[in-house]
Amino acid sequence: MDPLLVVGVVVALAVFFDFTNGFHDTANAMATPIATGALKPRVAVAIAAVMNLVGAFLSTAVAKTLSVDTLNTDIAQVGPELVFAGLTGAILWNLATWYLGLPSSSSHALFGGLIGSALAYAGVAGVNFEKVIEKVLIPALFAPLIAGLAAWLATRIAYLVTSRSQATRGKSDVGTGRGKFRVGQIFSSSLVALSHGTNDAQKTMGVITLVLVAAGLQLPTAEHAEAGSYVQIWVILISALAIAVGTYSGGWRIIKTMGSGLAEIKPPQGLASEIATGSTILASSQLGFALSTTQVASGSVIGAGLGRKGGAVKWSKASQVVVGWLLTLPAAGLVGALSAYLTMLGPIGFLADAAVTIALIVAIFQVSNRNKVGHHNVLSEVEGASEAVLSPRQVRDLKARAAKAAAKADKRNGSK
Amino acid sequence: MPNLLDILIAMKWVNLFQVAAAAIGFTAGITLLFSLGIRLITNAEFAVQKAGTGKAKAQRAEVFNLIGSYVLFALCGLALLYGIYLVVPYFHTA
Repeated sequence: MDPLLVVGVVVALAVFFDFTNGFHDTANAMATPIATGALKPRVAVAIAAVMNLVGAFLSTAVAKTLSVDTLNTDIAQVGPELVFAGLTGAILWNLATWYLGLPSSSSHALFGGLIGSALAYAGVAGVNFEKVIEKVLIPALFAPLIAGLAAWLATRIAYLVTSRSQATRGKSDVGTGRGKFRVGQIFSSSLVALSHGTNDAQKTMGVITLVLVAAGLQLPTAEHAEAGSYVQIWVILISALAIAVGTYSGGWRIIKTMGSGLAEIKPPQGLASEIATGSTILASSQLGFALSTTQVASGSVIGAGLGRKGGAVKWSKASQVVVGWLLTLPAAGLVGALSAYLTMLGPIGFLADAAVTIALIVAIFQVSNRNKVGHHNVLSEVEGASEAVLSPRQVRDLKARAAKAAAKADKRNGSK
Repeated sequence: MPNLLDILIAMKWVNLFQVAAAAIGFTAGITLLFSLGIRLITNAEFAVQKAGTGKAKAQRAEVFNLIGSYVLFALCGLALLYGIYLVVPYFHTA
């Protein structure tokens, strides 16, 4: 295959991937402020898009992780097909899980696809497992926990500091002032959107840089990486634009679904979880940790839910979410490896892989257009995670129901 | 393939602890400042309603609490900007 053609297709697919990422993740940043009434939907979506755009320019550490650290092999010798196979593997897995309504992570799909493809092309030696474990796998496991812990602690603090005794509140109509956390949410949700831009747009930059290196259009020198100029400026530009446009056009979905899902999140919890998400992602981006922004946001939402007195976790739902996360990397790796074997067949394999990917993209867009907004494809994973937490009211309801059932059973036993 | 245990031992765990400490400390700190700000604002509202106990005193309480809350909110904003400043490498390369 002509390397330039492969590069062109990879750039196009990577930009598409970036767009869908923004489209999909608008809800992560903006679902809570819209749910608590802190922001009007249209304003929220516009802020999210701008913040993503700005965030994409802030750093290139994550792009470097993906393009320099992950693969061991001299990628210029293998050729750009490796990147192409990895990317199509990631897109195929992403679309399939989206269609089936399974929780997934586009970041892990991307890493899985690339690793699978590298394994197929260059064997075990082709992957730099040390860096993959240090900068992808371990952060993937710990970041949601860190964010959850931060959100839990911050929620406790917020409720503790603003608590007022019934006696104080009884005399006037001032209350605890907890509704005022809404104003803070305008800033905290912007922080989430900003951090999303820094981490997720960089994954696209990483893939494009990787394919440029593989095609011999850019040198893989470490000095460039150190100087921070490793990612070319046009790559940063299109990645930033794609994620911003995707975020903006993803807005209509959350506008249509508001009022469901996250209704149980109170403003102090929203603020706590958003700051936790934003700061965890920003701190990780700086060290080049490529993590799933969706998983971090989910961890925060669960932590904030538990931080309020009387909150509880629905473990069946939570474990479902976690299993989905763990499955993504190996599954996308498998699809990436399969696409890699396909591309090894030469131009026919390459065309077949491209045809399958594009056909699936078109098919899924057709289906989603016909169904418009169905419940299963609208709920973001973060909303799914929020369903894993029971609010105090839900816990009370459950207990009341259990007590009623027990009383009924007692009566029946007594009458016997 | 290298041994998983070796990798885990050789790994730079310090970085992960840094992320954890930074994220948890930053989140807790900003939320504390913001919550205190809200507490003071509601204090001011209570003070207004307690006007019956002597007007001048209540008014003074309102002003002090309001100023305090604005200071806290400003600190919040500064902390946020400082946090962003810290993570952007552009500001740190000479």
